[in-house]
Amino acid sequence: MLLLEYHNLLLKSILTERFNSATAASIDQVISDFDGVTFHISTPETKSKILVSISVKCYPDLLQHGAQQVLEREYGQYITETESGYDFSLMVDLENLPAEQEAKEDLIRRISLLKRNTMAAPFEKAIDEHHRLAEAAKGFNSETAPTGEGTEVMVIRYREEEAMYIQASHDRVTVIFSTVFREETDRIFGKVFLSEFVDARRRAIQNAPQVLYRNDPPLEIRNIPGVKDDGTGDIGYITFVLFPRHLTPQRREESISHIQTFRDYFHYHIKAAKAYMHSRMRRRVADFLKVLNRAKPEVEESEKKEKKTASGRSFRVQA
Amino acid sequence: MASQTPAVVMDNGTGYSKLGFAGNDSPSFVFPTAIAIKGSSGGGGGSGSGRPAVAQKPSYLTGGAGPAGHLSVKRGTEDLDYFIGDEALAQASGPGYGIHYPIRHGQVDNWDHMERFWQNSIFKYLRVEPEDHYFLLTEPPLNPPESRENTAEIMFETFNCAGLYIAVQAVLALAASWTSSKVQDRSLTGTVVDSGDGVTHVIPVAEGYVIGSSIKSIPIAGRDITFFVQSLLRDRNEPDSSLKTAEQIKEEFCYRFQKYVVEQLGGRKVTVDVGYERFLAPEIFFNPEIYSSDFLTPLPTVVDTVIQSSPIDVRRGLYKNIVLSGGSTLYKDFGRRLQRDIRHLVDARIRKSEEKSGGAKSGGLEVQVITHKRQRHGPWFGGSLLGQTPEFRSYCHTKAEYDEIGPSIVRRFALLGGPGQ
Repeated sequence: MLLLEYHNLLLKSILTERFNSATAASIDQVISDFDGVTFHISTPETKSKILVSISVKCYPDLLQHGAQQVLEREYGQYITETESGYDFSLMVDLENLPAEQEAKEDLIRRISLLKRNTMAAPFEKAIDEHHRLAEAAKGFNSETAPTGEGTEVMVIRYREEEAMYIQASHDRVTVIFSTVFREETDRIFGKVFLSEFVDARRRAIQNAPQVLYRNDPPLEIRNIPGVKDDGTGDIGYITFVLFPRHLTPQRREESISHIQTFRDYFHYHIKAAKAYMHSRMRRRVADFLKVLNRAKPEVEESEKKEKKTASGRSFRVQA
Repeated sequence: MASQTPAVVMDNGTGYSKLGFAGNDSPSFVFPTAIAIKGSSGGGGGSGSGRPAVAQKPSYLTGGAGPAGHLSVKRGTEDLDYFIGDEALAQASGPGYGIHYPIRHGQVDNWDHMERFWQNSIFKYLRVEPEDHYFLLTEPPLNPPESRENTAEIMFETFNCAGLYIAVQAVLALAASWTSSKVQDRSLTGTVVDSGDGVTHVIPVAEGYVIGSSIKSIPIAGRDITFFVQSLLRDRNEPDSSLKTAEQIKEEFCYRFQKYVVEQLGGRKVTVDVGYERFLAPEIFFNPEIYSSDFLTPLPTVVDTVIQSSPIDVRRGLYKNIVLSGGSTLYKDFGRRLQRDIRHLVDARIRKSEEKSGGAKSGGLEVQVITHKRQRHGPWFGGSLLGQTPEFRSYCHTKAEYDEIGPSIVRRFALLGGPGQ
């Protein structure tokens, strides 16, 4: 498994099972997802009405950047009154499902992408903004083009100490992640991993977005309140520069999905790397043990011989 | 924020792993504890790692040069090329992947595989960040402390999980029985009859501590019942006596009452009569001689011996609270039958001792077998129940404590859900 999936597997499997089974059953499950997202899937009124609620830490941030519109576009008729304690709810009536299997599967897919769609709003906004600016900048040539200060930076505080910063300008969209490393080892693995990331573009994949990594806040976000440079290097800033070719209408959905899962992907791979190191360490220990066991002195033949006293009695050395 | 995330409960058994979040009433995922790895098949050797083997020469001969050369080959991501659970079984039937079962007899056999199994469980199935969640894992009774330490090393060092609690399956099964209406006091004293796919254990637990010396296991469990049903079908010359049919009959009909099974077999409809195996199959627990010639002690006798070999002051509690857990205890009226048989044994013994003592009267002994709705995933449900309590986190060892003390910290856990709560 190289990439993490965008949809929530559990939501998907529950819905698939419910949609395709004849007998109704009540559900009440709390499901967790990355970045402190919590889902609650339940059947509060009748067994045929499934309520799916999502709670996202940064929902106020997302609302500011048009999450409501994106969700309305994606889920339209299924949106229902928000369950208390959650940020957004959907209601699906099993007796009122689309008839064709394909439409059903599409609905399942869309619901299981709930987290992705909720988080997608600021990215969509940035990309739209980019297209608008690009349109406006068309009139200029490279010299006279506005030296892209870009738009205001959107801040999504999606975790306790970590945030995403998104800025659009006429020739690119910049996404900056701040990430905290709790562990010394993690930081080192992270560094190696990221330098590979930076190199990848140089070496093989030319049209990958540019990736920069540094320990102090990049210039774009330095004057945003809440961004602090504590000088300890615990916080890393990863900058992605998305070029127009990543932002074409065909690509943008994919790009949004990818960049959203970046942090989880990153931490997942740090852990996978550690797991890999551990398995090598275990193997090495096993090898060393073999060598050590080989080095054990063998009991010499002469010691095994019975020693006799003059009278003919024998002693045995107790092991 | 961190206080809101539900704890992750993982019960990795020999046959199936149960994963989910505390507070839910059923596990989110139940799949085989299997991992399919590229390359060598399941039979290959004890070393069992699917990666291209490290040079066979002992490392002192290569003078450290070996691994370096090895590294250059391995820039890829072969170590991520694997599947777990049902996907593993599906992949293993095709070419290229070999299947491995990282847990044998309830204990982790291959830590490399287990680590990757957990990795995929956490990131692909549960989709949680281990830093944000507390984990409740289970272990079989009599698990060596080293194996606990290994588990802690993986959980804390690889995954940086926020906190960890490792509970004994039998104790969790007792906690799960609190949902039964028959249980009045929430004590952690009782006898757990845990019958899964591979083996049946009878485990006495006193005040949350397993009485290790008295545990007995019976080599008859779910798989044997399936074989037995199959042999009955064969004897009768039923048109279909495959293992799968036998298993289906076991699960569908031994639990409930119905007459026959109709099934589609290659487009052809086959009707298999379901006769006496409906009640005969679970009967092998009570009269093992009808199935096996090696093991002849009936389950009620085993339970009785186990309790008799426990310390005298807890026996009363053990008789009063006999809890069933695991899929092979779901047969209809299994609990009532067990209770009746044990009571017969006990009453007979009391009568005898009354006779011997010449007129003294015994106060009698209460025997109660508890069945409840959550039996099938008993340990998992118990974990979910305890994992959602507000005190749960204070019982866990946290990452900071682990860093301070080291793996040995998990040798001891405060008793979760024990007295004093």
